[in-house]
Amino acid sequence: MDCILTIDINTSSVRIHAFDLTGEVLGMRKGSYPTFHPQADYSEQDPEQVFITTLYVLKNFINEVIQPQKYKVKALCFCAAMHSVLAVDKNGRPLGNAIIWADNRGIKEANILKKSAFRSPIYEATGTPIHPMSPLIKISWMRHQDPERFAQAFKFVSLKEYIVLQLTGEYLVDHSIASSTGLFDIHQLQWNAQALEFAGISPERLSAPVSIFFDEVPLKKEYSKSLGLSGSTKVILGSSDGCSATLGSGNIAADRATVTIASSGAVRVASKEILVDEKQRFFNYLLAEDYYISGGPTNNVGVVFDWYTQFFGSFNPGQEFDQVREELLREATQVPAGAKGLLFLPYLLGERAPIWNANARGVYFGLNITHEQKHLLRATIEGILFEMYSIGKLLTDHRSFSSISLTGSYSSIPLFAQILTDIFGLPFHVNTKVDSVALGTALIGLTGMKYFAGLEEASASTHFTETYTPNAQNHELYLRYFEVFESLSGKLEAEFEMIAGLQ
Amino acid sequence: MNQLNLHEGKAEYLRDFPYIIELVKLKIQNIQLNSFTVKTNEGIRIGLITEGKFDWVIAGQGYTLFPGDTFLIYPWQEIGSPKGVLDIGALCWVSLSPELFDPSGLLQFGAWSSIPESEQRVIGKILAMNKNPVLSRFGAGPQILQRIEHEILQQEIGYRTRINHLLDELLISLVRHLSKAENFRRDFPQIFSKLEQSLRENLAHPWTVEEMAGLVGLGTTAFTEKVKAFTGFSPLHYLINLRIAEAIKLLRQTKMSLTDIAFDTGFYSSQHFSSTFKKLTGYTPRAYRKTQ
Repeated sequence: MDCILTIDINTSSVRIHAFDLTGEVLGMRKGSYPTFHPQADYSEQDPEQVFITTLYVLKNFINEVIQPQKYKVKALCFCAAMHSVLAVDKNGRPLGNAIIWADNRGIKEANILKKSAFRSPIYEATGTPIHPMSPLIKISWMRHQDPERFAQAFKFVSLKEYIVLQLTGEYLVDHSIASSTGLFDIHQLQWNAQALEFAGISPERLSAPVSIFFDEVPLKKEYSKSLGLSGSTKVILGSSDGCSATLGSGNIAADRATVTIASSGAVRVASKEILVDEKQRFFNYLLAEDYYISGGPTNNVGVVFDWYTQFFGSFNPGQEFDQVREELLREATQVPAGAKGLLFLPYLLGERAPIWNANARGVYFGLNITHEQKHLLRATIEGILFEMYSIGKLLTDHRSFSSISLTGSYSSIPLFAQILTDIFGLPFHVNTKVDSVALGTALIGLTGMKYFAGLEEASASTHFTETYTPNAQNHELYLRYFEVFESLSGKLEAEFEMIAGLQ
Repeated sequence: MNQLNLHEGKAEYLRDFPYIIELVKLKIQNIQLNSFTVKTNEGIRIGLITEGKFDWVIAGQGYTLFPGDTFLIYPWQEIGSPKGVLDIGALCWVSLSPELFDPSGLLQFGAWSSIPESEQRVIGKILAMNKNPVLSRFGAGPQILQRIEHEILQQEIGYRTRINHLLDELLISLVRHLSKAENFRRDFPQIFSKLEQSLRENLAHPWTVEEMAGLVGLGTTAFTEKVKAFTGFSPLHYLINLRIAEAIKLLRQTKMSLTDIAFDTGFYSSQHFSSTFKKLTGYTPRAYRKTQ
């Protein structure tokens, strides 16, 4: 049987799936790698370890699953987390670690750009909010704070480009990853002159942008030989994680939004047009030519619930983290919606959309003498999900949607799915069987190979395993809570700055 | 009043136990000047506070110890009271002199211990990595110390063997407590990331699964399962992954010889390095270096 392998280089691991040519999963392997925090604001990964892990997992997967089943690998299709950047010398050797999306070292450079006249033209041309996450800001940081590395750098590439460089010997970046750099004009499909000027680089110091379907460069012989792949196996560049997840959850042509809840989260919609927000709160990334994925990211989802579990869960000796988390979820299910009038602003890691304030901090609001620990627990979960809604609600100012698909590692928790459904007041669809990022990546590969006529057809081939329907009474109640939540989250800017200054 | 103060060389009781520097149980009712000045500790001292409140300086840092607290002091650390006196209260401790123990974690207790050498290495690593000399809730401590005292004073048949066993028991319980306390309230990714850091810092060390599991306070079976679920690799394969990634860096960015790279990254020979490298990347290390 013929198959396609998808290689997703995400924040904590590389996940490799095999799909048949209709988009059914045949198997999966993963390998994780660490993130280093040499300073508080820094988040880095070792490009060599990411590469070796990718190669290792790929080799094991092929040896242990693909070859014994006699599957024939027609193509490898890639996907990766957005916003990573890595300086390499003229021999392609990394100059230090890759700086990943979560890295905030460029706060100062981001503020400089925000206050400059370049701000609006660059945001409008590139679709990437002005934020330390974007490679534009990171390269500008390197230019000013690490001039030696900046001068030595032959090119600046993402981790995905680095893996592709290792495997093929070519510097290539797909339009989708390029559109998340803050340096790429999403209308003209070329590097943006103003952004390049702000970063202080010429376009030669970036890879050549090509379509996500690009497949003209083969694997290096040594690798196809050691992996046991035929010379005709194609390397398809593919897209980014957020864009692939939207495609893989079937939302390209449908009037649906995608809510992703993992360690962090996002709400996204797909369209043929960009979403124009005068307050510049949304991203507009390219899935492919003429397909825009627009929406907003939040920092504070799973990571906040893990924090709560770690410090407020009741750990008996010998009890494991996952068990304690399960117990908390059970306990939270028993608490009525609204947590008895207690609200939580989940901004433990500052916040991106919709308030875009790195100084934002967590708040429990409305405590009274009758509140127990279980109310704090329930309020924590509801606060995290109100924040998802605050992004979704803003999106409804620009786009209409009648249902939502839920993706990400937390999408399999029924309590989270049901509360979201009740808050939004819209049906939520979940596919618990297959990872939507992997499926979206496979659909890109299969579309590139003409097994689907286009991305709409590919997207329409997906299905869901579960649907949640809203409880009208809870919805009404949650909207009243949300009014307070929204008002509160917009009111504390000065206080957030003061308290952040004390931390 | 129940007092005990046995010192090696002075006390008849310890004649058969040259590796026990002292076994002390004190109830302090009058403060004596200069009874506890800050000085370098002798051996590994493990003790308990049973009554009162003690303000001490350990390894340059101030601690207040309360009843139920256990203290654990290493041969290279200083301990004492800033006032130079032992406050009113009660406490006990045992001090052991291992044949070898250094801050890098090298540890050999000596022939008396029946803990295998490979496990003594793990225990040494865990002890050396512990940054906290005052432990709370080490429940096994009081009973073991009491039984050691009882055996020493009664000298019933088999008491030498039993004391050695009790010392082993004390050390094992302590180390298990340390590695568990360290990881309490942490999820496995956090635990693993700390372990990963230790592996990286000592890549040349011939790590075993027992050692890695010991460092995070898990049995080898559970450890292997969890590592596999979290990283996708068995512990030893994860280690190979780290070693090859580091070797690639050294191949590309230095002029080090292949033999040096092999040993630096923990391969036991350059042949082992070459064959592992080739299996994974399709290149021999030499050929890989040439392509750069």
